[in-house]
Amino acid sequence: MDKDNQFSEEQLNAFVDGELDADEKSRVFNESQRSQELDQRLCQQRKLKELVKHAYVDVPAPMQRQDLRKLQQGFWGKTMAASILLMIGATIGFYSQQYIGQQHIVPATGSEIASVTSVSHPVVTGHKYILHVVSGQREEMFEALEKAQQLLDAAAPGQVNEVEVVANEQGLNLLRSDVTPYADEVQLLQENNVVFYACSRTIERLEEKGVEVDLLPEADQSFTALDRIVLRMKDDWEYIKI
Amino acid sequence: MVGDTIFGLHQRRTFKKMVGNSRARLYRMAYTWTHDPYLADDMVQQTLCKALNNQKQLRDMAAADAWLFRILANCLKDHYRAKREVLLGDDQVRVEYVTPETQTQEQQIVDTVRLAVSRLPLAQCQVITLVDLEGFTYARVAETLEIPVGTVMSRLCRGRAALRDALLDTKSQLPTEQAGTITRIRQIRENNG
Repeated sequence: MDKDNQFSEEQLNAFVDGELDADEKSRVFNESQRSQELDQRLCQQRKLKELVKHAYVDVPAPMQRQDLRKLQQGFWGKTMAASILLMIGATIGFYSQQYIGQQHIVPATGSEIASVTSVSHPVVTGHKYILHVVSGQREEMFEALEKAQQLLDAAAPGQVNEVEVVANEQGLNLLRSDVTPYADEVQLLQENNVVFYACSRTIERLEEKGVEVDLLPEADQSFTALDRIVLRMKDDWEYIKI
Repeated sequence: MVGDTIFGLHQRRTFKKMVGNSRARLYRMAYTWTHDPYLADDMVQQTLCKALNNQKQLRDMAAADAWLFRILANCLKDHYRAKREVLLGDDQVRVEYVTPETQTQEQQIVDTVRLAVSRLPLAQCQVITLVDLEGFTYARVAETLEIPVGTVMSRLCRGRAALRDALLDTKSQLPTEQAGTITRIRQIRENNG
């Protein structure tokens, strides 16, 4: 047997992967100094390893997320522009109304001023919860809504708990207008600032199967369930799976 | 309860952080196994979903990586099984990497490697990418894919031989694979106690 060939491919792989113990490694090193062919085999193994690493340094991002980011950027850009326009419009409207109807202005009473200022008190955010609904069972969907209400009610005095409900898989039924038994409850909770997310991935899957997905107007579908959950968990929201 | 003790508040926070931080790595791995960004993203979502739902199964945070990648591998296996897109025998190949129509010169080498990797049977591809991209030891790969260390080594060997044939023009200079017994490979020795 050639000296160069005394090492199997598996041994050379183990060598480049750092899996050999010190003695075995020394033996390979010593032999590779004597044998150009062995040295070349080792170089090839290393080169292959580096090629694989190099080929996957940058992998294409999921298209869906890229599109979503663009949409979000577009959305926020438009929102900001609309807000500025609205502020300009409101300012112009306010002053022009004062100018046009000056003789009809009635001074506000103290109580009216108090009632207006009381609305603008800053809201103190309490705990934050994200509820994850995966079941389409009636009882479990109800449990999710009941839990959302309990979490709102559990806020400390002077605080408001934030609650989001994310529905995917069978749980999407909660937010599908044609199948949910709880449209009114969802609306009521949404009016109390609970935010509902219908998983965009689940919707895609259903649509691929030819199912027409008609969501409640309260349901936001701009995230996948997991994206939303991971995002919120990173921000230290409490995750509750129903 | 043991589970409660191990999975206390600190562990829950660590777990959440770990899951969030692992997403990019899981996606890269899923992409190398599928070469399909949509499918890869889908698999990662399923993986994270399962991880979040079964977090109490993880008793040792040190094993979290292997646990997460094992879930990913199982998700992909289930996907292929359900779709019947490929058979899951060790020597079955998958859907090939599609080379972009427009290629820069720099991109060509990347595409050539990806094409070669995509032509490997999934079992070999998984072993190679876990070792080369994630830097997993053979023992950890074995734990992740739930196969013996010896199988990891033989798959790695066959996979790299195929890549070498596809990517390096050196067939004539390479000796054939030998049946040498590896007696002193650290991981095997550790496994044998």
